Amino acid sequence: MTTLDLTRPAPPPPAPAEDNYLTHTRGFLSWAFTLDHKRIGVMYMVSVLVSFFVGGIFALLLRTELLTPGPETIPGITADRYNVLFTLHGAIMVFLVIIPSVPAALGNFVLPIMLGAKDVAFPRLNLASYWLWLAGAAFTVLSLIMGAFDTGWTFYVPYSTKTTFEGVIPVLIGVFILGFSSIFTGMNFVVTIHKLRPPGMTWFRMPLFLWALYATAIIQVLATPVLAITLLLIIIERVTHIGIFDPAWGGDPVLYQHFFWFYSHPAVYIMILPAMGIVSELISVHSHRHIFGYRFIAFSSVAIAIFGFLVWGHHMFTSGQSPLMNTIFSAITFSVSIPSAIKVFNWLATLYKGSISLNTPMLYGLSFIILFSIGGLTGLHLGALATDIHLHDTYFVVAHFHYVMMGSALIAMIGGLHHWWPKMTGRMYDERWGRIACLLVFVGFNVTFFTQFLLGSQGMPRRYYLYQPEFQVYHVISTLGSYVMALGFAITAAYLLHSLRAGRKAPANPWGGRSLEWQCASPPPHDNFATTPRVGDCYDFSVIQWDEREQGYIVRRDLDPSLRAPGAAGGH
Amino acid sequence: MFPAILTSLLASAGPRPATVWMPPQASTVAAEVDFLFNFINWICYVFFVLIAVLLVYFVWKYRRSPENHAGSAQGPTHNTALELTWTGIPLALVIAIFYLGFRGYVDLAVIPRNAYEVEVTAKQWSWSFKYPNGATSNDLYVPKGTPVKLVMRSDDVIHSLFIPDFRVKKDVVPGRYTYLWFEAPYATGDARPEHGHHLFCTEYCGTEHSNMNRRVYVLEQAQFDEWVDKQARWIDEIDPDELYFKAGPRLFVLCSQCHSIDGRDGNGPSWGPRAAAGLGNIWERTRDLKTPLVGGRTLADIIGPGKEYGTPEDYLRDSIVNPARHLVAGYGNAMPTFRGQLNDKKLDALVGMMKRIDEFNPDGSWKGAARAAPAGE
Repeated sequence: MTTLDLTRPAPPPPAPAEDNYLTHTRGFLSWAFTLDHKRIGVMYMVSVLVSFFVGGIFALLLRTELLTPGPETIPGITADRYNVLFTLHGAIMVFLVIIPSVPAALGNFVLPIMLGAKDVAFPRLNLASYWLWLAGAAFTVLSLIMGAFDTGWTFYVPYSTKTTFEGVIPVLIGVFILGFSSIFTGMNFVVTIHKLRPPGMTWFRMPLFLWALYATAIIQVLATPVLAITLLLIIIERVTHIGIFDPAWGGDPVLYQHFFWFYSHPAVYIMILPAMGIVSELISVHSHRHIFGYRFIAFSSVAIAIFGFLVWGHHMFTSGQSPLMNTIFSAITFSVSIPSAIKVFNWLATLYKGSISLNTPMLYGLSFIILFSIGGLTGLHLGALATDIHLHDTYFVVAHFHYVMMGSALIAMIGGLHHWWPKMTGRMYDERWGRIACLLVFVGFNVTFFTQFLLGSQGMPRRYYLYQPEFQVYHVISTLGSYVMALGFAITAAYLLHSLRAGRKAPANPWGGRSLEWQCASPPPHDNFATTPRVGDCYDFSVIQWDEREQGYIVRRDLDPSLRAPGAAGGH
Repeated sequence: MFPAILTSLLASAGPRPATVWMPPQASTVAAEVDFLFNFINWICYVFFVLIAVLLVYFVWKYRRSPENHAGSAQGPTHNTALELTWTGIPLALVIAIFYLGFRGYVDLAVIPRNAYEVEVTAKQWSWSFKYPNGATSNDLYVPKGTPVKLVMRSDDVIHSLFIPDFRVKKDVVPGRYTYLWFEAPYATGDARPEHGHHLFCTEYCGTEHSNMNRRVYVLEQAQFDEWVDKQARWIDEIDPDELYFKAGPRLFVLCSQCHSIDGRDGNGPSWGPRAAAGLGNIWERTRDLKTPLVGGRTLADIIGPGKEYGTPEDYLRDSIVNPARHLVAGYGNAMPTFRGQLNDKKLDALVGMMKRIDEFNPDGSWKGAARAAPAGE
C-alpha cells in the first residue's frame, strides 16, 4: 500500500519522462474521446477561455461605441449591430463562459482528485457533456451566420418571437443543448460526491469547494430543465402559432418571464456558489490556516441554493405582476443576503491570525471579497421595492450583476485557475506578472463598473445605443476602465502561455494545500491515486511542512492523528 | 411621515436638485425613495468600510515574508456566539430595509381615486399620449399638483415607461393594461425641452429602443387646461393652405423614427431622394410610379385608372393607414398602422408634406417656401 504518491518525499526529484495525464496517451483522438476527467476539464477550460476572449472583444467594442452619445462612434457599429453585440456578449458570457467555467472546467479537474477518486462516477456522461457544450456553441455561431439575433440574452417575448426566425431559433436550440451539458455535469457531481468519497471523508470533512459544487449541481439538475422547457415552448409557439407567450396568439408574455427567471435566477447561484467554494479554498490555503466557521460556510451554500429557487420574481417588480407577489418576492430575496454575508465574515475571520502569502491566487481571492461585498451590498438597493422601481433596467443593475457575475464569479474562476494551474500544467507562472495583472484587473474593473452605479441611479437605462449627453463623462471613464482591465487580462494570457514553455516545474504542493489534490504529483498521473487514500481533516494545516529538496510543501500524513484511527488504510 | 414633512418643506422651492447619486426630486414620492436609497447607501458604506479595513488590516498584520515556509498558522476555527451575532445583525437590518421598501412601494402602487387619466400607447418606436378630451401628444403633458394615472398598453412588444426625476417605472405589456401614477409638485413650463423631465423606454424593444425617449412637461393647472384644450383642436385652427407645413412637421415626429428626409436609409424608405436606388424623393418616385414593390412589381401595377388606387395620393394615404398591404422592395413589414390615430385632415397634412418634401429640413422643420412660386402668384 505504499504505491501512493503520498509517501513523498521518498522518490527522487521528478524524473523527466514521468507518466502523467498529459503524456499518458497521445494524439488528437486520445483527447477527443478521452474519459479522463482531467483532460475533459482542460478541454472545457480552453473552450471557456476562448469564449471569454470572444465575449470580451464584444464587450470592448460595446464600451468603445459608448464613448460618444451619438451613433457610430466606431464606423459600422449601427444600432442594429450594437444590439446584436450586446446580445452576443451576454449570451456568450452567461451560457458559454460563466456557467460552465467553475463546475465544468475547474470542478471537473479538481473534484475527483479532491475525493481521491480515479474519475467522476460517469466518465462517459462527462465526455458527452463536453460534446454537447461544443454542439451548443456551434449552434450559437450558426445563428450568427444565419441572421444575427438581437433579443438580449434574456430572449424576452414577444420581441424574440417577432424578430428574425433564422437568428433566434438556432440560438434557442443552442442554449437548450448547453442546458443538457450543464445538467450532465450536475448529475455526475451529485452522484460522485455521494458515492465516491474516500474513507474518512464524512460530509463535514469535505473541502468547502466540494460543498459548493454539490449545492451547484443540485441547482443545475433541478432548474435547468425549466429553461429547456421554456425555450422549447418558444420554438413550438414560433413554429405552430399555439398561443403560449405571445399575446398575438393569445399567450402571456409575463408567463415567459416567470419561466425564464425560474431558471435564470438560480443560474446566478450556479455561477456564484462554486466561486464561493474556490474562495474558501484560496483564503484558507494561502493563509495557511484552518478555515473559520466551516459549518456555517457549508450550510450557507445549501441555504443559498434553496432560497435561490424562491426569489425569481424580483426580476419582475415592474413587469405588471401583482403588488402582493412583489412584496413576497422582495421579502424572500433578502433572505439570500444573510448566508452571503455569513460567508464574507467567515473569510475575513480566516485571515485573522493567519500567515498570509500574497500569491496571485490569494490576490484574486481578496479581490473577490471586496468585489463581492460591493456586488452583494448593492443588491440591497435592488431587493427593496421602492428603490428597485427606480433602478430596474438601468445601469445600476448592469453594474450590480457585473460585480457579482464578473467581479465575483469570474474573478474567483481566474483565481482558481492560478491556484490549480501548477497542478493542471505542472508549471509555475511568473508571480510578479501575476500580481501586476491582478492589480490591473482589479482597478480596471472598479473604474469600469463603479461608474455604472452612478449612471444607473441617475437614470441611464440599459441596452441603449444612444444616450443623453449628460451621461457621457461616466461612459468615458467606464470605457477607459475596461481598457485597463483588458490589459490586465492580456498580460495574464501572456504569462500563463509563457509558463507552459518556460515556467519552473511545479512541485506537488506549491502553496501548502491540505486537500488531496496537493498530495499527488503535478501534473497528476492518469489514475490520480494508485489506491484510494484515507483522509483526515482537510483544513488541518499542522501536518504540512516545507521541503527544500522538493521546493514545495509536503503533507506529513504520518503526523495526522485522524489518520491513525483503527483500521486506517494507506499511509505508512 | 418623514418624507411627507420633507415634501411640504420643499413645496415652495423648486425640485430638489440632483445629487451625485440621484436625479432631481420632481415627484411627491421621490423624497421617500431617495431617503431609503440613502439609508441603504449608509448601510453599504459602513459594512464596506468594515470589511475593507479588516481585510487590509489582517492582510498587513498577518502577512508572511517570502522566506517564511511555515506549514501552518494557528487561529480560532469557529466561535458560535460571534457567528450568530454576524447572522443576527444583518438579518435585523434587512428586515428594516424590506419594511421601508415595502412602505415606499405602497405609495408607488396605490393610485389616488381622483387621479387624472392619460392613455398611453407604446409601439416600436414611439409613445402616444391621449388625454380625456381626445387630445393627443408625443411628449407627456401633465398638470402640476394633481395625481396623474397613466393607463398603458403596447401595440407590439414589451416597453417600459421610466421617468427618472419622478422615480417611477412600469412595463408596458402587449395584451394587458398596466397602470402608473405620479404627482408632480413643480411646474416645468413647456418652453424648452431641457426644462422637461426625461421619459425613457427601459425595456429593450429593438433597433430604435434608445431613441424612444420623450419629455414630460408639468404645467400650471390653468396653463394645462388651455394646452389640452388647444391640443384637441390644434389641427382645426390651422388654415387648410398652411396645413402641410404647420401640421406636417408635428405629425412627422411619428414617422421620423423610421423615415428620414435627407435620404438616409432607416427602417423604412426615406422620404427624401433614394439616390442609392436611383429613385427621387417620395413624391417624385410615387408620382412617376417608379417605386419597386416586394414581389417584383412597381407602383405602375397598382396605381392608375381601373387599378387599385386611382391616384398616387390615394396610395400614399393608404400606406399610412394600411402599411402592410404593399411593401416597398427591400423593407420588411415593420410599420404599425395609424388607422384611427390620424384623422382625415392629419393624413392630408402628411401627404401634403410628402408632396413638398424639398421644403423641409432633415429634422422635419419647415425651411419656408423655398421653391414655391413667388408671392403674388
